[in-house]
Amino acid sequence: QEFRFGSCQVTGVVLPELWEAFWTMKNTVQTQDDITSVRLLKPQVLRNVSDAESCYLAHSLLKFYLNTVFKNYHSKIAKFKVLRSFSTLANNFIVIMSQLQPSKDNSMLPISESAHQRFLLFRRAFKQLDTEVALVKAFGEVDILLTWMQKFYHL
Amino acid sequence: DAVSVLPAPQNLSVQSTNMKHLLMWNPVTRPGETVFYCVEYQGEYESLYMSHIWIPSSQCSSTKSLECDVTDDITATVPYNFRVKAMLGSQTSAWSNLEHPFNRNATVLTPPRMEVTEHGLHLVIELEDLGPQFEFLVVYWRREPGAAEHVKVVRSGDIPVHLETMESGAMYCVKAQALVKAIGRHSAFSQPTCVEMQGESLPL
Repeated sequence: QEFRFGSCQVTGVVLPELWEAFWTMKNTVQTQDDITSVRLLKPQVLRNVSDAESCYLAHSLLKFYLNTVFKNYHSKIAKFKVLRSFSTLANNFIVIMSQLQPSKDNSMLPISESAHQRFLLFRRAFKQLDTEVALVKAFGEVDILLTWMQKFYHL
Repeated sequence: DAVSVLPAPQNLSVQSTNMKHLLMWNPVTRPGETVFYCVEYQGEYESLYMSHIWIPSSQCSSTKSLECDVTDDITATVPYNFRVKAMLGSQTSAWSNLEHPFNRNATVLTPPRMEVTEHGLHLVIELEDLGPQFEFLVVYWRREPGAAEHVKVVRSGDIPVHLETMESGAMYCVKAQALVKAIGRHSAFSQPTCVEMQGESLPL
């Protein structure tokens, strides 16, 4: 079992365990999201991502989730008594992040820039919302993120 | 707030074998009284981003035991901190922390126990069930000079697996090792087990 985001390989993470952790929180989390007409991880962010782009995009998205979404959403999670599932998700995102080493080679600049534009699309949509609303929505979209990551997961 | 008069438990340690992780500590004694203990943990995320957050252990939020199975609490291959406090009625001790964070990639992996049998002409192996995180690499060969080794990956224990259709009178040997992908490690190989294929010659 490993992720292969292009040339970036990630081992030691069992994706079904991440899904299980999210399902435990899903109902609690997604019922908090009242604005169903808006989506942060729009199709344009995740559709047709090339293997080469995928390492850059995965790194940007996971870093944002760890540093912004999870960090600021945590106070709600503690209230919902799903700390354990949240911990599983967050700590496994750390494992993935720690192994993602996107290439800094100049030849990859067009690809990293393309991935960056996708990430900016997501972050712009996030910033256009009220912070609390954006946090709830982003956390509720972890299943969209995991679905995309699943494409790069090999048993 | 209960005044902390109880001494904190000492000598916390983790003993981990085959991905079963046991947190242990020394007792806090009060003659004629039963002292309870409470265990909490935090993963690397919590210690990096919100070090004030501790999560109650799924098994031991209040236990008389001097050990706690924290296997279900450790769900990522990152360092985990643990802490324990003693409780007696309304009295609680200070927290006592595990000196060094524990990472499950330090677990001791033992060679798997296995049973090798012959069912008619078939060489069959059954490995011990070590849990969902384990796979097994099984190596088997016919015991004769120059014989090639065959390899088979067995996805889970506790299920008989057919290895080979044997020739009567020949001897076959088998050895196995446990693999844990979540930590990217494997055990040593077990001692080879050999089986001689008795079998009668078929009637003409």
